Amino acid sequence: MKKVLALALCLMMVGTLASGCGKETTENKGNADNIGITEAPTQEGEVTPDVTEGAKKVEIDTSKTIKIGVLVSDATTPEALAFRSYYTDYIQKQYNVEFVYSDELKDAAGEKSAIDTLVTNNCKAIISFSSFDRPAQIEQCAGAKVYYAVATGTLTQEQYDKYKDNEYYVGAIGPSLEDEYQTGYDMAKRYIDLGNTNYAIFGGAIPYFTDMHIYRAAGMLTAMVEAGGADANYLGATTKEAIVQQIYADSGIQTGNIGSLSIVAYVGGYDMNDAWFAQCAQMAQTKDLQVILAVGNGSDFFGAAIKGADVKIASVDAYASSYGDAMNAGMLDYLAGKFSASIGPVFAAVYSTVNGYPIRTDEGYALALSQGYWIAASSDEFQKYYAVDSSKESPAYTKSALDILVGSDYKTFSDFVSKYSFDEVVQLSK
Amino acid sequence: MKKNRMNIIKRLIGISIIPLGTLWIMLAFCSVRGVILFESEGNYIAFFRAAAAVMLTTFALSINLNSGRFDFSIGSISLLSSVVSATVCMKLGLPVGVMLILSLILGAVLGAVSGIIYVFIQLPPIIVSLGVALLFEGAAFAFTKGYGVSFVTNIELISFPGILNYSLVILIGLVAIIFLFEYTQFGYEYKTLLSGQKVAVNIGIKEKTNAILCYIISGGLMGVVGFITATNTGNIQIALNFGSIGVMFTAFLPMFIGGFIGRFCNEKIGYLLGAVTTAFISLTYARLNVSSSVQQIVTAIILVIFLIYLNNENKLKQLFMFDRKVYADKEQK
Repeated sequence: MKKVLALALCLMMVGTLASGCGKETTENKGNADNIGITEAPTQEGEVTPDVTEGAKKVEIDTSKTIKIGVLVSDATTPEALAFRSYYTDYIQKQYNVEFVYSDELKDAAGEKSAIDTLVTNNCKAIISFSSFDRPAQIEQCAGAKVYYAVATGTLTQEQYDKYKDNEYYVGAIGPSLEDEYQTGYDMAKRYIDLGNTNYAIFGGAIPYFTDMHIYRAAGMLTAMVEAGGADANYLGATTKEAIVQQIYADSGIQTGNIGSLSIVAYVGGYDMNDAWFAQCAQMAQTKDLQVILAVGNGSDFFGAAIKGADVKIASVDAYASSYGDAMNAGMLDYLAGKFSASIGPVFAAVYSTVNGYPIRTDEGYALALSQGYWIAASSDEFQKYYAVDSSKESPAYTKSALDILVGSDYKTFSDFVSKYSFDEVVQLSK
Repeated sequence: MKKNRMNIIKRLIGISIIPLGTLWIMLAFCSVRGVILFESEGNYIAFFRAAAAVMLTTFALSINLNSGRFDFSIGSISLLSSVVSATVCMKLGLPVGVMLILSLILGAVLGAVSGIIYVFIQLPPIIVSLGVALLFEGAAFAFTKGYGVSFVTNIELISFPGILNYSLVILIGLVAIIFLFEYTQFGYEYKTLLSGQKVAVNIGIKEKTNAILCYIISGGLMGVVGFITATNTGNIQIALNFGSIGVMFTAFLPMFIGGFIGRFCNEKIGYLLGAVTTAFISLTYARLNVSSSVQQIVTAIILVIFLIYLNNENKLKQLFMFDRKVYADKEQK
């Protein structure tokens, strides 16, 4: 009798193990060809902003509250606050998730310590806005079996190649360096086309070798080289690659002529000391200056200094009310801004992955998707974008829009992310 | 009579050698690079602004530091007072003068809070001031929901920067501080406590009241520093996790310089001249577009050299006097 009972128990255990293994296989594959994947349910009368015809998605169990850690190296800029507001004031209310934010991180050691804290706090995934040492973050998360994703940024190609098949690396969604370059290029081109010749550049974090700021500045300089005439060059560099290299080598930008155009002044860094404020004022009051091209926030630092002068300021940042005021008062002329809901898709990817349905490329690699800026060149445009971006009830990416992504296939996901212009996003969320 | 005249000359040299020497060196650096140090009105404004802000910060830091109270919270007081005063003035459409007075009062109130916490908790001032710094930074964050304050479009509130206004701030600040510490009962008690706390307490001086008053004055001064910084750009960015502490470090070099000059005149005038010296250096950095890393290295080297000099002054004097004695002996022979 005992033998029969033992045999029966063994069979039950084997059966249980086998069924468990089977379930694991189907869950972890998570692409459209898997068993258990169904067509997206469509109820009569429900708005389903399906971006891909024939898109497939799975239904996932979202009954458990999931803790997601968020690493931030900036907790006080308008951009950072808008992102945080979107997650905590909107996403957290719509989905069964709890966001646990780190303190404002200052270095790679801080990132490591923060990840330890978040893992101890039972976070199942970490979304990172902090970029001091991304490879170390990925490896630490993978070691702790916690999913990791990059928001509003990308890995370098070398880093991506190394970690793309790591199952705990979900991916990165944000402006690629190519997008950053194009943003700077378009900004400078606009003022060149308007006939301006004398420029000052605010280099933001270029002295700290921040890639996105270097690429934005490189875009500005390339546009000037292209428009400056036959022999125009920047310290001998004429191509994008050479200009990027030159900025890295100098950790700044040199003033001087680029053919028929001139860089009459430059300030970099965020020292915020007396010398730095004096440099900023000096730059804004440079004789014959027409345009200040800022790789980051321009109006807050130079707005007061240009009062009474016919100088235009162009910035890259986010849609914050203070920029609306500055634009209305004529202190800010142009804004390339990230919209706060742009971090919605990376949440959807993480949420889907934590629930057992990772969204990977057809080759099974992590996501590496690019998403650019909304450009406001007038106060009216700014107000139109700001109204959507600042809404806590109906932001740019609503739950119904993000639901398309949760449990979706790669094509659906990438198509969705690629349609990021204001009109496309509004259309998706309708 | 001759000795008296020599004393006056010695004092004048002692008072002026550091600021004038620094100015001469800075002018030399600029002329080598073909740059004029004071070329435009903007350069003068930058110089006077730096001198005013650094002088007030040095006063604020030294008031408590001279009594052995290291106060890390002064930067956060400047942040929170300016955040609140700017917000109130923006919302109510008040003029910039009101913002200045409001900043001063709020700074004094926050200083009082800091002082009362120190007196009642009775923990080492470094620990208390770190806690207070976090508290005030957090309060500024909560008050603005993290966004800080931007009044760059408010022409009235950004109208303060100007040579005359900054000069008045320097003059009034200096006179007020000298009056408070040299000609009031509080000042006498403060000095008595400095020279020996136990004896001072035994003769009836209330050291806790004096400490709280020091914090109030220090806070008021930092309120004005916050006002100067905020009205310069029309923008106040929030600092968290001790991000506001950096402000106090701008005061160390002028404080040491002021301490040296203070041997030849009133110490507070020494602090002013220390602030003027650092303002010359700051303006030169700006005029020559010196990168921040180079600035930090140069400032650190100046500070270290100055401290080495102060710590070895007696040895240098002995060496100098010995040489003179040997020279005099040779002359006699």
